[in-house]
Amino acid sequence: MLRIPCPHCGARDEAEFSYRGDATVTRPGADGDIAAFHDYLYTRTNPRGWQVEWWQHAAGCRAFLKVLRHTVTHEIRAVVTATGTLEVPPA
Amino acid sequence: MSAPEPTHPLAACATPGRHGAPGDAPLRVTLPRRDMVQVMARRGREDALAEAARAAFGLALPPAGQAAAAPDATAVWIQPGHWLFAAPRGMEGALAARAAAAFAGLAAVADQSHGRTTIAVSGPAARRVLARGCRLDLHPRAFGPGRAAATQIAHVGCLIHQTDEAPVFELTVFATLAEPFFHWLMEAGAQDGVLIE
Ligand SMILES: [Zn+2]
Repeated sequence: MLRIPCPHCGARDEAEFSYRGDATVTRPGADGDIAAFHDYLYTRTNPRGWQVEWWQHAAGCRAFLKVLRHTVTHEIRAVVTATGTLEVPPA
Repeated sequence: MSAPEPTHPLAACATPGRHGAPGDAPLRVTLPRRDMVQVMARRGREDALAEAARAAFGLALPPAGQAAAAPDATAVWIQPGHWLFAAPRGMEGALAARAAAAFAGLAAVADQSHGRTTIAVSGPAARRVLARGCRLDLHPRAFGPGRAAATQIAHVGCLIHQTDEAPVFELTVFATLAEPFFHWLMEAGAQDGVLIE
């Protein structure tokens, strides 16, 4: 069970959150071609190491949060609100 | 012709009296009838909304994790820029109308009086019983009067608001999920005994 420190609510169990995927992808503009939208929807780097992810505190404050999580150790190093930015440490 | 008083969502299962094990310190359960409205600040108007809440309701909008009480209303922080206002049940829609008038242009107001219901639990057994399904630490060192938190208990979204040191916890759930939630509460309280008032 992960414990995720919500900036609004404090540390809560993972069960209160829903995972919403890679937070580094950006939506192509309206003029983006089909390949750009394909990559946006399906292509992920799937790193072995640090990843910035969306987690929604669905059963708490309902906020979308950016979480810096290590995909091997599951360590959570930082959490910010949706407009915040997170630096990804090397490996 | 006036509208009939709506049936309480727990009318079919909350039978007043003693339930579960005998004992002299049962979990006390009451069903306060409340009107509730969700108040959602418009972007950039939080300060003006706080001022309007002070003027119209006599309360300071609480920060995250907290609640504020005035003589005739309470406000509980539920998410960034959102508060749940509650008052004793009055005329249908009156609290929503009062909030909509006070917060015109500053916040959206959604009447939740029929959508949610509140179950108050109290007594020495309250923390022990809630701990059987609540993931939050409700020990006095971590929680206390005036604190509030949204979480899940028995898979049901639940807003917990501690109103008193006794302790008294007010549990606000969606009305449609109040029955299964109440069944969980009865199960969790069975070994301490439950007194429904
Ligand atoms: Zn939260």
